Amino acid sequence: MKYILKVFSVTFMSLILSFSIANASSGVFKVSHDLGFGKDTNLDAITKGRLFQVVIKTQNRLVRPDMNGVPSPSLSTDWSANSDATEWTFNLRKGIYFHDGSAFDAPDVKYSLMRAKDPDIGSPVRKSLNVVEEIEVVDQHTVKMKLSTSFADFPLLLTDYRLRMIPEGSGDTIGQTGVGTGPFIVDKFDPEGTTILKANPDYWEGAPGVAEVHVIAIPDAQARIQALLTGQIDMNRYVPFNQKKIFDSNSKFKTTVIPTGNWRGVVMRTDTAPFDNPKVRKAFRLAVDRQELVDLVMGGAATVSCDTPVMPSDQYRLQMDCPQNISKAKNLLREAGFPNGIELTVYPATLEPTWPTIAEVVQQQVAKAGIKVNIEMVPSKGYWNEVWMKKPVSMTRWNQRPADTILHEAYHSGAKWNESYFKNADFDKNLADARSELDFNKRKKAYQNAQMTLWEQSGTMIPYHVSRLVVTSSKVKNLDAVDHFSIQWHKVKVD
Amino acid sequence: METNLITEDKQKNKLEKAFEILKTMASKPSGLIGLSIVLFHVVLALLSPYIAPYDYKAISPNTMLLAPSAEHWFGTDSLGRDVFTRTILGGRTALTVTFFGSLIALLWGGLLGIFCGLVGGKIDDVVMRVVDAFLSIPWILAMLLIVSLLGTSTEVLIPALGFFYGKGIVRVARAATHDVIAKDFIVSARARGHSNMSIIWNEIIPNVRDAILVEGAMRWSWMLLGFSSLSFLGFGVSPPTPDWGLMISNARGLMSFAYWSVIAPIVGLSSLIIGINLTADAFAKALGIDRSTKAPV
Repeated sequence: MKYILKVFSVTFMSLILSFSIANASSGVFKVSHDLGFGKDTNLDAITKGRLFQVVIKTQNRLVRPDMNGVPSPSLSTDWSANSDATEWTFNLRKGIYFHDGSAFDAPDVKYSLMRAKDPDIGSPVRKSLNVVEEIEVVDQHTVKMKLSTSFADFPLLLTDYRLRMIPEGSGDTIGQTGVGTGPFIVDKFDPEGTTILKANPDYWEGAPGVAEVHVIAIPDAQARIQALLTGQIDMNRYVPFNQKKIFDSNSKFKTTVIPTGNWRGVVMRTDTAPFDNPKVRKAFRLAVDRQELVDLVMGGAATVSCDTPVMPSDQYRLQMDCPQNISKAKNLLREAGFPNGIELTVYPATLEPTWPTIAEVVQQQVAKAGIKVNIEMVPSKGYWNEVWMKKPVSMTRWNQRPADTILHEAYHSGAKWNESYFKNADFDKNLADARSELDFNKRKKAYQNAQMTLWEQSGTMIPYHVSRLVVTSSKVKNLDAVDHFSIQWHKVKVD
Repeated sequence: METNLITEDKQKNKLEKAFEILKTMASKPSGLIGLSIVLFHVVLALLSPYIAPYDYKAISPNTMLLAPSAEHWFGTDSLGRDVFTRTILGGRTALTVTFFGSLIALLWGGLLGIFCGLVGGKIDDVVMRVVDAFLSIPWILAMLLIVSLLGTSTEVLIPALGFFYGKGIVRVARAATHDVIAKDFIVSARARGHSNMSIIWNEIIPNVRDAILVEGAMRWSWMLLGFSSLSFLGFGVSPPTPDWGLMISNARGLMSFAYWSVIAPIVGLSSLIIGINLTADAFAKALGIDRSTKAPV
């Protein structure tokens, strides 16, 4: 009997041990970033230079998008609105702690969101958050947000990837510490080298699957692909589709195609001649053959966009066709006073691997309308500071956002990241009307009117929304097949 | 009448001498191979616009990454453009930019080196320290700075490359001049009251010319590699101009499954560099110059 008991206890202990080993964080997950913000790179999610590859792993939002993009609980467990959707109450998750040991509660929510609205900080997300007039701390685990207008989709706005919860009063240091309630803790922040994140064993959704995440700075896109091939990194979410064959035939890698709302484009500054004339802008946009761009640049893996930034799966997207129309483009140029066409220079960098190819293809397409495009390559490092929103024509790329957020952030006349310096009173009014409209159909109509204005007037040529080719090492397990900002990073494992 | 005859004789002598040098260069297999390769590239560069089978700019999703065939001898690239067309035109840009760049390097580097070698003293000291300072700056960084500020047109690239590759020639020309100025005929010329310019033109240049020309030929091949490196990094000529460095850069990610789009420009670039090197080597030997010292033996 004693012997049986001994055998039983040894077996039981071994089972417990193996179970805990199997559930302990182990392995290193290595990813890269492009150092696009150069020396301004930091860990403050609401600033321009935020290193989102780190922030999304160390900090949580109140509300996050689920696998279908629908707002779902994160640090807020549930929410409700008053009858006209001008007041929203959020109940907070209890027993949550920041990496610095302080408890997460309602004043942290108020601090984090009010900070994003602070004009002195000048966050790019400020414009879309301006609808929030006041945040009231009801009790330690409840906040009430009072809005300036009715906003039926308000929780969707809070899924923005930058609206992360940080400890009250940590604004001065957050850029270096990255403290949050997320599954990983910043151990060493080195934006130009390797940033090391350690697993947070007390993470509220369970301990992460990996012990460490290394975020390595590799500015050149091709170098990032070589880094993946040689095992220096375990994941590359920016592999061009024309290189898919390299990984498809290699058992060391897994490829996943994810339709997204991310977009690439060519931006003309509407405050700079000749692009201050809407006819010139539309002529350029009409001269582009978007389907050919999809085929040549993306190998067919993208959805054509008629210059709307609203993602294909969004309920408010304006569906329309916009085939290349050279004769109309020529007419518009003639009417604008350019019967012999125009000449412009674009400045692609390889930080986005498809930019040089987009520029080359567009160069050939618009030449038929008398638009001569010169291409001047520029360094990847510091592109966002020195080229974007500075040169008359630049290349751009955006991650997906809900319709209201992206329309406000990229085109509203008061937006910080209004990259084309677009100013249109009708457009701004349609956005304001859409927010305050409680009837879904009327709201949809207002958002679509705004997108129609973009088609007629916009300075940004958006040829498509990309499908993302994500390549990971076959050692990587449990990675959600969704966009960056919806992934549950604590579930990822590396064998 | 007599003067004309003397000039014609001089001309004839020069031609004969050039022919002799060419004959000596071609007498060795390495020289013959080098000359043939360079000649082949030059002829191809001249004829390429007339023999290119396709428009080098023509993109099409229907012809993306086609393997070599009777229709497309070297296949097509990721935008559906004919690789053979772009390869034969690619050499044209590289040869033009680097040839004129080398000429500029030879002119300013050679003349400044000779001048410093002749006048010596403080001017020589100051100029050589400035040249040393420039030599200590990696040329690629300096070039990146220039093209970032001024753009990547050939009007910018040719003088910039000419400047950076001329620095080394200053030192060679100065050293060769030092070997010459101690000779009696220079002392005599000075005694006769000849100006510095007259001494440089009539006495020094004929005696250091060969050493400088050999150095220039070597610089040409280095400049070719440098220019292609710039294009590879995306800072050479602008797309869609066909250029070997740019073609290699664009196709390097496709090497494992579309090797044809990268092999042709690699062969073009490396063969031209090897050809120029072999030619420069044979040229030096034919002139009796030891390339390790860059001075007449």
